[in-house]
Amino acid sequence: MNSNCFSRNNFIALKFSSLMFNKRLRILNLNNKRTSKSSADDRYIRGYNEIPGPKALPLIGNSWRFLPVIGQHRIEKIDVMSKQLREQYGDIVKVDKILSRPDMVLLFDAEQIEKVFRNEDTLPFRPSMSSLNYYKHVLRKDFFGDEGGVIAVHGENWLKFRTKVQQPILQPQIAKLYINVIEETAELFVSRIRKIRRKNNEVGENFLNDIHLWSLESIAQIALDIKLGCLDDAVRKDTEILIAAIHTFFANVAILEFKVPFWKIFNTRTWKKCITALDTMRNVTMKYITQALEKKLIQTNNSSNENASLLQRILELDPKNPKLATILALDMFLVGIDTTSAAVASILYQLSQHQDKQHILFNEICSILPNRNDKLTTKELQRLIYLKAFIKETFRMYPVVLGNGRCLTKEMEICGYQVPKGVHVIFQHYVISNSEHYFKNANKFEPERWLKHNKEQTHAFASLPFGFGKRMCLGRRFAELEIQILIAKLVQNFHIEYTRQPLEYEVQPLYLPKGPLSFTFSDRT
Amino acid sequence: MKYIPTNKFIQSRSLTTTINNLQEKEKSTPQYEVTFVKKNGERIKVTCNEGDSLLDVVLNNNLDFDGYGACGGTLTCSTCHVILKKEDFDRLPDTPTEEENDMLDLAYEYTDTSRLGCQIRITKDLNGLEVCLPSSINDARS
Repeated sequence: MNSNCFSRNNFIALKFSSLMFNKRLRILNLNNKRTSKSSADDRYIRGYNEIPGPKALPLIGNSWRFLPVIGQHRIEKIDVMSKQLREQYGDIVKVDKILSRPDMVLLFDAEQIEKVFRNEDTLPFRPSMSSLNYYKHVLRKDFFGDEGGVIAVHGENWLKFRTKVQQPILQPQIAKLYINVIEETAELFVSRIRKIRRKNNEVGENFLNDIHLWSLESIAQIALDIKLGCLDDAVRKDTEILIAAIHTFFANVAILEFKVPFWKIFNTRTWKKCITALDTMRNVTMKYITQALEKKLIQTNNSSNENASLLQRILELDPKNPKLATILALDMFLVGIDTTSAAVASILYQLSQHQDKQHILFNEICSILPNRNDKLTTKELQRLIYLKAFIKETFRMYPVVLGNGRCLTKEMEICGYQVPKGVHVIFQHYVISNSEHYFKNANKFEPERWLKHNKEQTHAFASLPFGFGKRMCLGRRFAELEIQILIAKLVQNFHIEYTRQPLEYEVQPLYLPKGPLSFTFSDRT
Repeated sequence: MKYIPTNKFIQSRSLTTTINNLQEKEKSTPQYEVTFVKKNGERIKVTCNEGDSLLDVVLNNNLDFDGYGACGGTLTCSTCHVILKKEDFDRLPDTPTEEENDMLDLAYEYTDTSRLGCQIRITKDLNGLEVCLPSSINDARS
């Protein structure tokens, strides 16, 4: 148990003991010492209702807090809100009675996060987009059936799907078969930057769109075994349709998820746009998978071939059914493009803001890849340690997704409170990994802290950008490779600067700098 | 409040070795011995096939180690954590990969000679290997 969490709550408990004392409850742990785990049974646990948090108003609950003008919190400023809530209430905060959502318990304590993860049973439940949930399980039930994929799917169906696909998609040696493919795409992106930048070497304000194209091109080669040609000068018609659909989906899904969910009552315009985009993505994906399946049927058996692609391995699992691969590819598009792109944008911004660190990284790349035409292999990637430290540090201070969470599948004691089944426990990694309690000089950008020889003793569960355990990010291996290779190629080729007014990070709903991403890419000589 | 240990982990995991080819294998491949030492001192000696990972050994022998190998060997958890003797740790043919190290950082009761069981394959050289299990959630609570 974390001392911080207990001491603060116990202090409150002491202060109001005359008011709050309840014969059922006895708090033995009144000191600041760390409680040993074995004493857990001696302690009386406090009730769920006693978890501190903002008071809900009658009828409208806590939803009003997120309404424009009268509310205190803007969605884009959830980062600030989380920090305020922790300061006001402590390491565990309950936010209940938000319109059409289960109660949320915000957790600001790495040790308690570890506890929730370690207590996971066979079917961990990860809260996710309710609109996608509706699309897969109600609207297009005929297509998805019991094979919903992994995003917005829970229980036995989630387990069935994940168990089928997780071996090929998570085994590091399979991801490493894609190093060359990912490197080629990164090189195409380098060429594209040379083409699109202006005379002063600055790229346009919508550079994030270009990053999206790189990301889609990379993931399509992994999920569909094809080159979509997103980074070519003339884009093919069906690629264009897919790109447009993906843009529409990202632009609208946040509104469905974070604003008042009118779509649950009637077909709003945003909802219709989102559904059309999802259908388009599904149809285009299905077309490519069917083609791949036909191609594969002509080929000889691939299962014995250790160089078989991810798609070949997935098709092998159920050779007559193209749906498994289609649904997996769709999930990879839904959550593997904007996240990876946001990470790249954020890392580029940090490179521009920390020129000294960019210089160290450039030197590392030069020493490991002295010739610009040298091809990357696992060996070189392993040695690029400062690159990985830089990425980790960006994720610590600016995690692309501010938090993670689990819907409790059983009642559990957290921070000394009994939390019932069904509550969404939200792990506040952004606040935790920016707090002095977990990282020394937390507000300083220091990739060096992640290097092995001077690694700080930090809590391993404080910064967890890909999650942990049975529901850890399924695309992690590919996302890491894509990001590492692209950043290495960009720093190798360009000196990266940002000459405009500094940017603020905002939740959009991914966490990245808000404003024009007009980086300056000057050729390195 | 008691955490209930469950066999569901074992039922639901994708076995890297299915029962059929297990029987096939038994005829042809050499058999070795491995001993697991639990936190309470209990020693469990089992036989296994050449090339099996320690995770395979636990699954194939139906050993009921609380939550062991939850992710099925995909390097996303650290529940198959084992602690080796220094000399055994040093003589393993491979050092941990980056992916394994990332997960070892998250292992409960991590030591300098910790490894993940899913990454250790039993060969002739490792016949008779003895590994210790860290305490599980259950041990911590009881």
